[in-house]
Amino acid sequence: MTGRRLLAVHTVLIYLFLYLPIAVLVIFSFNAARQTAVWQGFTLDWYRRLAADGRLLGSVRNSLLVAGITTVIATVLGTLAALALARYRFRGRGATDVVLFLPVILPEVVMGAALLTFFGAVGMRLSLWTVILAHVVFSVSYVAIVVRARLAGLDPSLEEAARDLGAGPFETFRRVTLPLILPGVAASALLVFTLSIDDYVVTSFVAGVGATTLPLHIYSMLKLGVTPEVNAVSSLLLAGTMVLIVMAHRLMQTRRDEP
Amino acid sequence: MRRLALVVLIALAALALACGGKAPEKKLNIYIWTNYLPDDVLADFERRTGIHATVDTYDSNEVLLQKLQSGVADYDVVVPSDYMVPILVSQKLLLSLDKARLQGLDNLDPRFLDRELDPGNTHSIPYLWGTTGLGYDRTKVAAPLDSWSALFDARYKGRILMLDDPREAFGVVLKLMGRSLNETDPAVLRQAADRLKAQKALVKTYNSSDFANLLAAGDVDISHGWNGELAELAAKDPKRFAYVVPKEGSTLWIDSLAIPARATHVEEAYAFFSFLLEPEVAARVVNGVHYAGANKAAWDRIKPEIRNDPSIYPPEEVLDRCELLKDLGPATQLIDELWTEIKAQ
Repeated sequence: MTGRRLLAVHTVLIYLFLYLPIAVLVIFSFNAARQTAVWQGFTLDWYRRLAADGRLLGSVRNSLLVAGITTVIATVLGTLAALALARYRFRGRGATDVVLFLPVILPEVVMGAALLTFFGAVGMRLSLWTVILAHVVFSVSYVAIVVRARLAGLDPSLEEAARDLGAGPFETFRRVTLPLILPGVAASALLVFTLSIDDYVVTSFVAGVGATTLPLHIYSMLKLGVTPEVNAVSSLLLAGTMVLIVMAHRLMQTRRDEP
Repeated sequence: MRRLALVVLIALAALALACGGKAPEKKLNIYIWTNYLPDDVLADFERRTGIHATVDTYDSNEVLLQKLQSGVADYDVVVPSDYMVPILVSQKLLLSLDKARLQGLDNLDPRFLDRELDPGNTHSIPYLWGTTGLGYDRTKVAAPLDSWSALFDARYKGRILMLDDPREAFGVVLKLMGRSLNETDPAVLRQAADRLKAQKALVKTYNSSDFANLLAAGDVDISHGWNGELAELAAKDPKRFAYVVPKEGSTLWIDSLAIPARATHVEEAYAFFSFLLEPEVAARVVNGVHYAGANKAAWDRIKPEIRNDPSIYPPEEVLDRCELLKDLGPATQLIDELWTEIKAQ
């Protein structure tokens, strides 16, 4: 009995550790004080200011745009790469496998510097597109790894059965393989979105004109001190993410309930 | 499936059009610190000139340097801090300014012109400036502070915050010793280090990023720090907080306007500088960003509460004792070594 109580206490402590900072962030977005550490009463002022702050909102828009486009491109490319590596034998397969892992292990600073040098060498002007390209480069690997893990646990006889029943390669993929690996694909898409939206290091190297993302904007506010406006925008992003997660969860459940 | 392919194709075509179409419209790409340019000032510039401006922000001079070095960043206006200007000039990353294309240069305060950071202002013009000083809690100190000696006062043991920055920390002691911030004599630097070592027992923490918050939260009562955040704190709650540039003098920093060597909208950049040099506009910038501006002709139009705020515009005789931090060459290494000794003690 005491063991169970201890376990409960332990669980509560872990959750506090995980979520208390986020709770503090949200609470202080309603703080009347300009400084982020002292409570001086409730206000909605920072949300009002946020609504009027064109540059901050512009950076949020840039971040959402980059994360959205990166997610689509990286998920498609990564899934295709995973399929190729798991299902086909071809020359250079082993090398491709290793190379695909590299961006995951490579320190971000190295990746950022390398990309900037590359863009400089080929004369590609820095813009929002170079940011998206850079994000795709580091996220494709994550997708490939996650989807491959899912593919590895898949029974190949299901695909064989589909082919036996007369389905072409594309139909097999669309009606058998894809639905089976979908949870893996969805999970990797979420992962890519998260990686992309909060990336600072690589982005700071390759961002060009009109490409200030939210993390860049927040870091650049450090010179004058971060205001609770940042707490406000973070709280809104948090709320948005939670809605997305709940929706994704619901979607998965209804799917599972279907016969 | 064919429909999907068509949609993708159309999307790609639209994308190519959006990227490739070179509109002849007038543009200006500004790369600047956050909160350095009030939105209404920029909107006014766009309205008056018909130039469409894009503003991006950076968080350190090093990021700016690296972007300009890449050769593929399309910025037309940048705002490097004092020590970065000579570095950018030496790497030929800034355009040599054609003064004939700038109106209102004589509106600038001569005190900020022709400084060591850019002799003759061949590549930059001063924009905003500030100081390093002391922020403190009035309710916790005996009398208003006016000297760096407060940071060495045993009465404030455990309630002092020092910037975690070797040049600034040595600057405090060097100024107390009546020396220059840019002292390079190893004997003097060792002497300064000894005083910093002795001071360590009094210091609660060394911190360069969060000092104003720690002061506001009451974790420390006296904080060494840059004026931006500390002055803001003092302006918000003047009964409790104050910011002062100590009478011995301190660090002065100047952020300047410059045009990258590879800028493509040079004409527009000159128009923007001339616009910012107008006294009326310069005053609106200062009133909006709460930093001191380098435009002398703007003085009468600056709000009295900013103009008369010694934390933003320190008294003349104090400012005269302030210095810009210079690159010290080989002495930098000695300072770093001594600083490591102090911190590791």
